Amino acid sequence: MALGTQDRSAPAPPEPPPDRAGGGRKGSKSRKGLAPYLLTLPGVAWLVAFFAAPLGFMFLFTFYDGTIDIGYSFTSDWPQTYFEAFTTYDTQIIRSVIYALIVTVATLLISFPMMYWIAMKGGRRKNLFVLLMLLPFFTPFLIRTLAWQLVLSDQGIFLGTLKDIGLLSADFKLLASPLAVISGMTYNFLPFMALPLYVALEKLDSSLLDAAADLYSSKREAFLKVTLPLTLPGVFAGSLLTFIPSVGDFIDAEILGNPNTTMIGSIIRRQLLVNQDYPTGAALSFLLIAGILVAVFLYARALGTEELTG
Amino acid sequence: MTELERIMSAVSPRGVSRREMLRRIGIGAGGASMAGLLAACGVEGEAEPPAAEGKDPLSTAKVAGELNFANWPAYIDKAKGASPTLEQFEKATDIEVEYKEVINDNLSFYATIREPLASSQPVQWDLIVVTDWLIAKMADLGYLEELDHSKLPNFSKNAGAIYKDPTYDPDNAHSVPWQSGITGIAYNRELTGREITKTEDLFDPAFEGQVGMMTEMRDTMNLVILSMGINPEDATLEDARAAQEKLLKQREDGILRQYYGNDYVQPLAQGDLALCMAWSGDVLGKTLGSDSKVDFVVPEEGGMLWTDCMAIPQDAEHPVDALEMMNFVYRTDVAAQMTAWINYISPVPKAKPILAGAKDSYTRQVADSPLVFPSKDMESRLHSYKNLDPEEEEEWNDLFNEVIEG
Repeated sequence: MALGTQDRSAPAPPEPPPDRAGGGRKGSKSRKGLAPYLLTLPGVAWLVAFFAAPLGFMFLFTFYDGTIDIGYSFTSDWPQTYFEAFTTYDTQIIRSVIYALIVTVATLLISFPMMYWIAMKGGRRKNLFVLLMLLPFFTPFLIRTLAWQLVLSDQGIFLGTLKDIGLLSADFKLLASPLAVISGMTYNFLPFMALPLYVALEKLDSSLLDAAADLYSSKREAFLKVTLPLTLPGVFAGSLLTFIPSVGDFIDAEILGNPNTTMIGSIIRRQLLVNQDYPTGAALSFLLIAGILVAVFLYARALGTEELTG
Repeated sequence: MTELERIMSAVSPRGVSRREMLRRIGIGAGGASMAGLLAACGVEGEAEPPAAEGKDPLSTAKVAGELNFANWPAYIDKAKGASPTLEQFEKATDIEVEYKEVINDNLSFYATIREPLASSQPVQWDLIVVTDWLIAKMADLGYLEELDHSKLPNFSKNAGAIYKDPTYDPDNAHSVPWQSGITGIAYNRELTGREITKTEDLFDPAFEGQVGMMTEMRDTMNLVILSMGINPEDATLEDARAAQEKLLKQREDGILRQYYGNDYVQPLAQGDLALCMAWSGDVLGKTLGSDSKVDFVVPEEGGMLWTDCMAIPQDAEHPVDALEMMNFVYRTDVAAQMTAWINYISPVPKAKPILAGAKDSYTRQVADSPLVFPSKDMESRLHSYKNLDPEEEEEWNDLFNEVIEG
């Protein structure tokens, strides 16, 4: 079974370039109809091999019971796996959702003014400013977070100095707390919010703002009635790109937090890589996926899906 | 960090075969590798009974000239970025050693090799060093090669009596000790402001957010049980529950900073931890013969004594090279050289006179330390882990996981 999917994972040969639009209108009607589908083939093959198939196997795992040493067997009691996974780790699931919500709002509040300034007042140097904002993120996620661990350590260069000059009490701590984890995630996920916002703000037609001014609207009104609604698609995309990975993040919680800040990503990692309880790990993954799908659906409904196309 | 090492080693192709790379990528991408997937399709993961191996390749195989050695950090002598012991070994035997410090705690490491072992695939390592209880567990499952003791003359000649025929591995059939060590407490005098003497101090609210404990279930649970006045070897499930209560309270009251593997050394050194559970050799190297602010103590209530052992994973590709290494480190001069640097308890008692005769005072101090060559008095204060049967192990693990998973 596994081998079969492996075969399909071979990259599909590149398709011949399709006829230019409008060319051969009469002669190749069937080819023209097929071309768009053929074009998606490499993408679909990739998705099937590296996303759908592994996901399918993970899903299968949730119906099994056992360990690596004794082997796995199908269990009719599989709902119990889901139930137990949820009731054992509900604290961590709820905590992850709360942290991710805070992170989404925080990145929005931080990056909106920043990107607004770059898009509206950046002038010719817009791209330079965006590059400067992205520069720290050229280092890997893990290295950045480990660097924070060093910078924020109790006696490190930052807190240590502040303590030495008496601005902080000697037992003040940042690491191993929810604040450290949320701050770390806010920092790490900032570009995921900032870039979609920038795109939305950048393509905003400034003549619309001129028109608003001509119609005697105040700057505040123009912002609320013109700028904000037109950038909502950016807010929506940015929120999804920030919220979804932060719910499942475990690096920040493990490096900057402690067992009181454990997130569900850590639990899934431990179940799969340390305890090697695959059924529980897989069940938790699917609970998380289901939860995120529902949340995204509700969010899309609330914000109005017609906004999404911009 | 384990995670860092894992990711680093997954990205770096050095010393990793193509198949191994694919296997790791499989784990990284889907969380389940091929063996697991096959198992999901109904193919049983098999744990072969040890006796089923009739054609043991170990007696006929020859030295291959290559050895992949997995060990813990700071567990071998080092000088100028290399290890004299490994260099001497390479010179004496013509075997090239790939020595990797990839083990941060027993279970995390075991998890990286368990799947190929369960599906009878060779693992990446020819020689591993894990703690006694894991040796027993792996030997039971048939995951370790049987040792050919005719190739280990130095072991039978030089190993201390208590290291031969141990309870966790009768007749040393699958393992020989690498080093023993003590689980006790390390503390930073400047941050605690007082001497630390008891395990109970790890639960003192005065050290809020500055206490480190261990991800090793056996170390943490047994030390806490010991601090409640119970000999861990007689501990019941009730005692384990009481220990769990105590650990949960420590966590919920914010006294605990974090659970650590071997990576507690860094936060201890940089002052994030005022005191933490520690392994003797890690700390001794920094305290002996210097006025370091960090100290190691065996708590009044007692400490834990354990033995890390060398073993050859089943179907390893270069088993005879691994035997050569096992034999080599039991040479008295090599054992002394390693002990002078790593400061754990050597299984070779004859290393002591060699160290005591050294020219520099640091090495003589190592020879005199009761933590490196335990005195009778010290021995009486040390205890072994409780021996857990598989069912108990699961119960204890469940209790402990609840604490460290938050």
